[in-house]
Amino acid sequence: MSLINVNKIGGDGERGVSWLWPAMARYGAIFVLVAMIVVFAAIDPERFLSVDNMINIFNQSALTAIIAMGLTFALVSGDFDLSIGYVASFGGILAAWFMVDQGWAILPAAGAALVGAALVGYVNGLLVTRIGINALVATLGVGTVVLGLNYAITGGIPAVIDNETFLDFTINKLWGVPYPVYVMIVVAILLWVCLNRTPLGKAMQAVGGNRTAAEFSGIRVSRVREICFVITAVSAAVTGILLASQSGSATMDGGQSYLLSAYAAVFFGSAVLRDGQFHVVGTLIGVLTVAVGFNGIAIIGIESYYQYVFQGMLLILAVGLGSIGRRIAER
Amino acid sequence: MSDGNLDKIPKPESTLVAVRSVSKHFGAVQALNDVSLDIEAGTVHALVGANGAGKSTLINVLAGIVHPDSGTIEVDGVEVEIPRPTKATSLGFEFVHQELNLVPGFTVLENMTLGHVPSNRFGLIRWRNARKRAQEVLDLLEAPFSVDAPLRDLSVNEQWTVSMGRALMRNARLIAMDEPTASLTDAEVENLFGIIRSLRSKGVTILYVSHRLKEILDITSRVTVFRDGRNVGTFSTDELDRASLTEKIVGRAVAGQVNEARSTDPQDGEKLLEVEGLEDGSAVRGASFAVSRREILGIAGLVGSGRTEIAHVIAGLKQPIAGHMSWDGEEYRPKSPLDALKKGIAYVPEERRSQGLVLTESVEFNINMASISRGVLRKWLPIISVSQSRQGAREVMDSFGIKAPSVLTAVSNLSGGNQQKVVIGKYLRTDPRLLILDEPTVGVDVGARSDIYRDIRGLVESGTAVVIISSDFDELVMCDRVVVIKEGRVTESVTGSEITKDNLTHLCYESKEHE
Repeated sequence: MSLINVNKIGGDGERGVSWLWPAMARYGAIFVLVAMIVVFAAIDPERFLSVDNMINIFNQSALTAIIAMGLTFALVSGDFDLSIGYVASFGGILAAWFMVDQGWAILPAAGAALVGAALVGYVNGLLVTRIGINALVATLGVGTVVLGLNYAITGGIPAVIDNETFLDFTINKLWGVPYPVYVMIVVAILLWVCLNRTPLGKAMQAVGGNRTAAEFSGIRVSRVREICFVITAVSAAVTGILLASQSGSATMDGGQSYLLSAYAAVFFGSAVLRDGQFHVVGTLIGVLTVAVGFNGIAIIGIESYYQYVFQGMLLILAVGLGSIGRRIAER
Repeated sequence: MSDGNLDKIPKPESTLVAVRSVSKHFGAVQALNDVSLDIEAGTVHALVGANGAGKSTLINVLAGIVHPDSGTIEVDGVEVEIPRPTKATSLGFEFVHQELNLVPGFTVLENMTLGHVPSNRFGLIRWRNARKRAQEVLDLLEAPFSVDAPLRDLSVNEQWTVSMGRALMRNARLIAMDEPTASLTDAEVENLFGIIRSLRSKGVTILYVSHRLKEILDITSRVTVFRDGRNVGTFSTDELDRASLTEKIVGRAVAGQVNEARSTDPQDGEKLLEVEGLEDGSAVRGASFAVSRREILGIAGLVGSGRTEIAHVIAGLKQPIAGHMSWDGEEYRPKSPLDALKKGIAYVPEERRSQGLVLTESVEFNINMASISRGVLRKWLPIISVSQSRQGAREVMDSFGIKAPSVLTAVSNLSGGNQQKVVIGKYLRTDPRLLILDEPTVGVDVGARSDIYRDIRGLVESGTAVVIISSDFDELVMCDRVVVIKEGRVTESVTGSEITKDNLTHLCYESKEHE
């Protein structure tokens, strides 16, 4: 017996890498992030590693991170949401309309915009759960309707915002850090707690993991999925409002550019720390990784259009490493 | 089966497959430990052992799904590598796995031809040949459905027949069957045995994995016993009886599994749940019965009799169209499983993998899944206490003897019996007053089975009523009372010494023949 055991250990020792693939499955994406930081730091330590640049990276990540962390919820419960780009624009346009056309103060206007987005999310959820329309189709349809609403509200012209306090929000800093970074941190904490430390969050994971088993366990599956759509839509609107503040106007489809980066970040995040599951921290790391890459490329002075080549390859690399790692680890 | 397909000449005493010192570990679990084994051509060879003993892993090695860490496989005396399932197929190995790997949206024919479609030289499917072959196979299996039936319309048991049929589509030399009789009735088991005998006479080797010792003793000629990933011995079935085989599997002598005298008289309890004239518009057609406090009620019935559907109505998964139920003397109309659980009615579903578990999540996650709100810090603060939910999961693991490296292990890494204990534990965490168990011991080994029976008895002692739905009538002997379900109605109710396997079987079929 002991002989066999010795052989066994010897066998593993010969291969010598039995820990490598399981580790790659969980930490591969983080490895990519660290490797990038090391490379950029080696090439241009003074500019890349400066505090200002770090804050800059976080600031550039904030808007994408918020919409992407929200999108994580639709995916966690096993659904899909293609309307987030238009819902983000919708949030910005509603906020602008309440402020400029109705003369509301910033907070009520932003609040009303979030409520509007929540309604859109709820409609998404109802169409998917109660009527049973495929999530891709339902959210594509709702998103297109929302785009139409965006045009209707603004009359086809970007809504210019003249509220100085609102415009300053994305420029002002506290302790040297711009406000959007704080918003990102607060949203991240709220969403992380919601997903990982509340009965609702556990129910979302159960619904995403096995819908039948969740239902048999007394979880209100439809309601949980609807709430996920609402969280996704509200987060998108937060990004949209910040975008309106940043650009000084709310456009009909300004949020659309966030759609694909949000998906890229969420899928990148599924390869971080957990075996292929969507989670808030992973998504955040996904957004930061892309931001670090863009930032480094800019600092080194590579043509900026290579950013897209980089972003695409990064996504495939991280998720691919995770998949290969898991497959080999399972053998 | 058409002639010439399976007529390999049996060569007695020649070894078809030789397993040589195969080891395999998953994480910290040593699933196979230096296993060697000869499988003679043309025999029915049983693999037995507790859940997690290594049987399924060995099958998966032969199927090319699992790759051993060390050791070799020889076929006809020649060393072979089986890196992927297609290689196993080309060696003439076919597998009927414990889990149905079928496509619900396809027809029976499409499922049976999945993966090995006979195609013509343009790469198009030769449906006529495939259909002819599939029909032959279904005839052999005496299947009561058409090759064009959509799979989703078939019962679990019929889907098993399809799965079996798929293995017979090709010219197999070795067919490995993992728990083939789990959802079959006695008559269907007899039918299966007939098929096995006819295959054997055509020289096909059968590898037979089952927890049902009686079947092992009836149909197999050699038995290999696994314990903790090791082959503890291969025996000629003639040398074995039930007791000696059980002892070899468990590694110690075990007391009788079922039926011990109860300390309380179940009949004195008042009625807890009453069901009257229940109809669901399809399988349930006017069922009436009652469950008393402190009672173990058995529900016996053939597959398709409506027994599971009755449980689904009680558990709030399905709405009745007629009849009524009362719980604790009050009108009871659950709209969802949540309603039922809130009242204290927990239903443990029959399919643990698809209905009971989130396979990718941990033991802890699954155990807490039906009682998520229990672990919150304060009523008004819906934040889960990590230590409390972990503690709860550990308690369930300990009290049920769930074997897992830790509460954080994904349940997909657990054996069938341990998975079943997780599912039952999950529902017990809801503190039910009535626990309905649907086929609680399918695919569960002898040891874990007696653990589950012991826990059921403990529950009843502590005041929980239990309903057991089972095809395994041996198991119903532990009940205080058994109702027989036929075509959606309760046809008989028996107690005490009338609860025997033979009598229940008789009652299940008897009324059927009248109509």
